[in-house]
Amino acid sequence: MTAANDLYRDGLARGWQVLGGRHEGARPLPARLDCDVAIVGSGAGAGISAELLARAGLSVVIVEEGPLKTSRDFRQLERDAYPQLYQESAARKTADKAVTILQGRCVGGSTTVNWTSCFRTPDETLAYWQRRFGLADCTPQALAPWFEQAERRLGIEPWRVAPNENNDLLARGAAKLGIAAATIQRNVKQCWNLGSCGLGCPTNAKQSMLVTTIPAALERGARLLVETRAQAFELDGDRIAALEAVPVEPDGRASAAPGVRIVAKHYVLAAGAIHSPALLMRSGAPDPHGLLGTRTFLHPVVISAALFDQKVEGWAGAPQTVYSDHFLGVDPIDGPIGYKLEAPPLHPVLSATTLAGYGLEQAALLKQFPNIHALLALLRDGFHADAPGGRVTLRGDGSPLLDYPLTAFVMDGARRALLSMAEIQFAAGAREVRPVHELARGYRSWTEARAEIAALPMKPLLTRVVSAHVMGGCAMAGDAVRGVVRPDGLHWQIGNLSVHDGSIFPTSVGTNPQLSIYGLVARLASGLAQRLGGRVEALA
Amino acid sequence: MDEAPRGLPRRRLLQLGLGAGALLAVGGGLAWLWRSGWHDGRLTAPGRAIFAAVARVVLEGSLSSEPAAVARHLAALDTTIAGLSPAARAELSQLLGLLSVGPGRQWLAGLAPDWPEASVIELEAALRRMRLDDSVLRQQAYHALRDLSNAAFYAEPAHWPLIGYPGPTPIA
Repeated sequence: MTAANDLYRDGLARGWQVLGGRHEGARPLPARLDCDVAIVGSGAGAGISAELLARAGLSVVIVEEGPLKTSRDFRQLERDAYPQLYQESAARKTADKAVTILQGRCVGGSTTVNWTSCFRTPDETLAYWQRRFGLADCTPQALAPWFEQAERRLGIEPWRVAPNENNDLLARGAAKLGIAAATIQRNVKQCWNLGSCGLGCPTNAKQSMLVTTIPAALERGARLLVETRAQAFELDGDRIAALEAVPVEPDGRASAAPGVRIVAKHYVLAAGAIHSPALLMRSGAPDPHGLLGTRTFLHPVVISAALFDQKVEGWAGAPQTVYSDHFLGVDPIDGPIGYKLEAPPLHPVLSATTLAGYGLEQAALLKQFPNIHALLALLRDGFHADAPGGRVTLRGDGSPLLDYPLTAFVMDGARRALLSMAEIQFAAGAREVRPVHELARGYRSWTEARAEIAALPMKPLLTRVVSAHVMGGCAMAGDAVRGVVRPDGLHWQIGNLSVHDGSIFPTSVGTNPQLSIYGLVARLASGLAQRLGGRVEALA
Repeated sequence: MDEAPRGLPRRRLLQLGLGAGALLAVGGGLAWLWRSGWHDGRLTAPGRAIFAAVARVVLEGSLSSEPAAVARHLAALDTTIAGLSPAARAELSQLLGLLSVGPGRQWLAGLAPDWPEASVIELEAALRRMRLDDSVLRQQAYHALRDLSNAAFYAEPAHWPLIGYPGPTPIA
């Protein structure tokens, strides 16, 4: 596969049905569509569901709010990618603006723009779900075949190419300190090692939903609606009678053009952990236990930058190929919050907006951009009473807003994470470490950094916190008192609705969530196909 | 100066829309209610004046003070802001409206002279104050002004040589 080979150009020429939107050859939305299953979203959960349900012989309609952008649109430029492929131009914020959220909004959802890190759901997370949420079937053994299926389908394998310097510094620093680090599995095939995963893969190497499951569903006759927002379900007692969807402008405003009414036997909600609860709220869905949109998790991320004498060039080569789970295992899962370490890619806009400071000091730092190294720590929220996550609400215009209070408990973990990262960076040979915090300076030694970081006020907005993993809000549980959906993904109160995305996780996953979504949803969607009378075929 | 007008929950200000505006107007004169920072798909004149002044500090040493360079930066900001959600743009417009009138500017940024007349030293003090203030609203204002300025500036390939970024690897 090369850049010149655009799956969609060929597919559309062969008759793939993509409706709505502004792409070349776009076709208008009809006033009404009938199908077996309407799927809201086209990301990780939606893509897996779409392929399995289409393979089962069911007629499928997929509704995506974002645009269809494909390999030939992906020029590896932040100024194109953020407004076109991300929610709110990659500048989505929580209610108090203390957390910036990276989330996809395009065909393929976040899988089109993620950094290709794949981990199965950790055993201890599953054990917690069994124990606390009555999810008896969520054992590593029961899920293993589903993870295997997703791994085969999406080319998920350990990255065998040497890590870039940004990642190798994590490996070297951790090794010096006796901290275990390992290679990340990636969902790529014939990867060019460009490092532009976050800007849309220009060579179709990344096995996102954009180039795998959605094309597979289109090939089997599924219809894909783009730049079309699922506005509300029309409820009739305990069933959904229809889904109302409206065309949207590129910035998310509703367009003046007429909408579409989609009538399906069954509905699969997979719009991601902010938009799935929001759609149910806009629809007035029953929520007898007040759970909808609550316990929304982010894996709040803090960042440590460092300067090295040698070039790091954090933009070049595969992002995130080395990780350490050492600090997830120091305390019990329900003890002080643990964190996972990874090395993110560095591009000009993301770096200049995320690093702290301004003016001459900023200019002097960015002048050394090729020598900047960055580590991130993602904090495992949701396993302790003081890390209850956030809550999705609706703004006056019906758009969702996530209120996520960064508790003292979470920020204690953030401080420990900044300390761990600084120590690793100095061990790897950093000449200066700079935690991303408004009051931090560049520290010249681990001794200095340890004393200074210990004294930093770990407050929201002073501490830079970001997230690329939104989970929860429609929790799955063994009974209706603890969950919005049942263990088979069906809504506890609405008979013909399933939720198939990261919103069903009852806590955060504690690792990059894409494979958790693929595996769990493969199981749920196969069950649904059977329930709807379809053939059950494997993904691969 | 450190307190919001009485009765106004500062944390919620930017989410309150016109209600908060009416409250503020009691202490700040009514003029700003009729101004906004964003209109018809671009920054308004007051919005441009604020971002031009902010750039003199945030991008000091990087953005040329030549009028043409500043105009290009403001045009890049228009593009950046146009990509935000309608709700985020409305909040930004409101923030710029508040900062564009004397009482709002003085209360929020602690800046006595108007944006175009302020010296770099005065502007830097205003940004520093917002950045490190205990008030969530001031910190939010700092981050919005600073992050958008950086995003617009560093998205431009012409500015990459300043930071040694070679641009994407060609795939052809």
